[in-house]
Amino acid sequence: MWVIVEEVRKSFKILLAYPAEVVFWVFSPLLMVIPLVFQGKALVGAFSSTSFGNLAGTDEFIPYVLIGAIISTYMFSAVWSMGNSFRDETYYGTLEHILSAPVRPVFILVGKGVYNSILSTSFVIVQLLICVLIFGLEITVIKILPIFLFLILLIIGLYGIGFMAAALTLMIKEAHGLLHMFEYILFLFSPIRYPVEVNPITKTISAFIPLTYALIALRGLLLNIKFNFWKNSIVLLVIDCVVVPLGLIVFHYIEKRTKSKGTLSEY
Amino acid sequence: MVFHYLRAINAENIKEWKIELTYKPDFIRQFFEPFVYLFPYFLYGYALLGGRYSEHLRSITGISDMVAYTFIGYLFIGFLNTACWAMGFSLRKEQWFGTLETIFVAPVPRWVYVAGMALHSTCHQGLIMLIQAVVITTFFAIVLQMSGIFVTLAVVLLMLLGLYGLGIIVAGLTIALKQWWVVSEALSTLIVVVTPIAYPLAVLPIVLRKASMFLPTTYGIIGVRHLLLGEELVVSLPTIFLRLSLILIVWLTFGMIVFLIMDRYGRRKGSLSIY
Repeated sequence: MWVIVEEVRKSFKILLAYPAEVVFWVFSPLLMVIPLVFQGKALVGAFSSTSFGNLAGTDEFIPYVLIGAIISTYMFSAVWSMGNSFRDETYYGTLEHILSAPVRPVFILVGKGVYNSILSTSFVIVQLLICVLIFGLEITVIKILPIFLFLILLIIGLYGIGFMAAALTLMIKEAHGLLHMFEYILFLFSPIRYPVEVNPITKTISAFIPLTYALIALRGLLLNIKFNFWKNSIVLLVIDCVVVPLGLIVFHYIEKRTKSKGTLSEY
Repeated sequence: MVFHYLRAINAENIKEWKIELTYKPDFIRQFFEPFVYLFPYFLYGYALLGGRYSEHLRSITGISDMVAYTFIGYLFIGFLNTACWAMGFSLRKEQWFGTLETIFVAPVPRWVYVAGMALHSTCHQGLIMLIQAVVITTFFAIVLQMSGIFVTLAVVLLMLLGLYGLGIIVAGLTIALKQWWVVSEALSTLIVVVTPIAYPLAVLPIVLRKASMFLPTTYGIIGVRHLLLGEELVVSLPTIFLRLSLILIVWLTFGMIVFLIMDRYGRRKGSLSIY
């Protein structure tokens, strides 16, 4: 437990050494929405579209993409931050030290996961507050509990993927490009910017991504779109039960393989 | 002296190719990524329109094909990555490799190093864009007007030189600010918002429209789209050339000044080797 706490403390200390990063992570997802708003206005000449409504359940595409952008903060955090967490240690020159410490490396990994979860949730809360205060998004108190339930189910599943991303970095070293590509793939096949029903391929593949179910549920709660509460929560729970142990097993296997091959200190 | 600098620039270019080819999965990935990046913009358009063509887009630009319009914008904005990421990242990467101090004591000015990175990333990005252009135009049956191809290349060249100015600024700021990617990402996000990549200038609020007039990407993209797809222009083609030339002089000069100031600042403060 202390290892996890110390890992979280260390990560926050490093983050506070670069305060510009905090500002960037808060505003970046919101800034990403602006080109989509202008593109929508150029294509349909208004801020609502009937075709979009037929697929998404709401004609208004701005709140739709805004919620997608905010929740994608977790995706960035799980794939990008978790994936790069061990690569960063390589660059700092501290990877060998932390992996040879008398603790199981999996606790260090969980510590990094806890740190990224706390950080992303803080960013999401600030972003939601901006949306409530500036864009007039309405969140009733009764909805807060189910929103948190779905966020927790999403975080658990995404960090399972994050553990695998961290393992990938240990194995192929210069993985930041691959992580970026993985991020783009999630963008393509999850309903972050558009309803996946627009194309049969995106619709099929999105069924295997936890973000899909979380976004359907969260948009349903925030925008009053009809959705199946139990189906989405049970599917997310099942995905979490599969992905987290799988992520830990993959990390454990690759970490052992890297050590036995002696490639830990290689760049 | 010039020959000496050119050799150093080319050596830097070759060194970068060698490093990139060492990480083969990452090298291959770079040729697929532009497609994965581009498709969400197409699918978003399809979801909004329920098809490929937009009457409203035609009424304000003269082009109704959403796919062709969006594709040309995102194809040429790829050079923004060259400036913000490749050039800006160059010094930070050397720092991580532990070779920054070594290359900074080499008997060439610092800008030669950044110019080498610019040459490399232009070649690399150009190759990626060429493949992307061939695949997307074939797959979506996009017909481009090839009669103005040489003028198009001249517009792209001027835009690229202007963006080099931005790359030099980012590289310079990296020396002082260290956490380079925040600078790169923030600048590129702001430029992507203001540049008329997937929408015309007409939909931007007046403040952003004015701001976009100072960017080489604005003139580059509206010029290229006019020449290749026949988009109606808000400024004439000679004005585009004139403004691009002015912007590149201002940005390159400003970039060099920022770089030299940051370089001196970094060495005086002794922060070159600090992370």
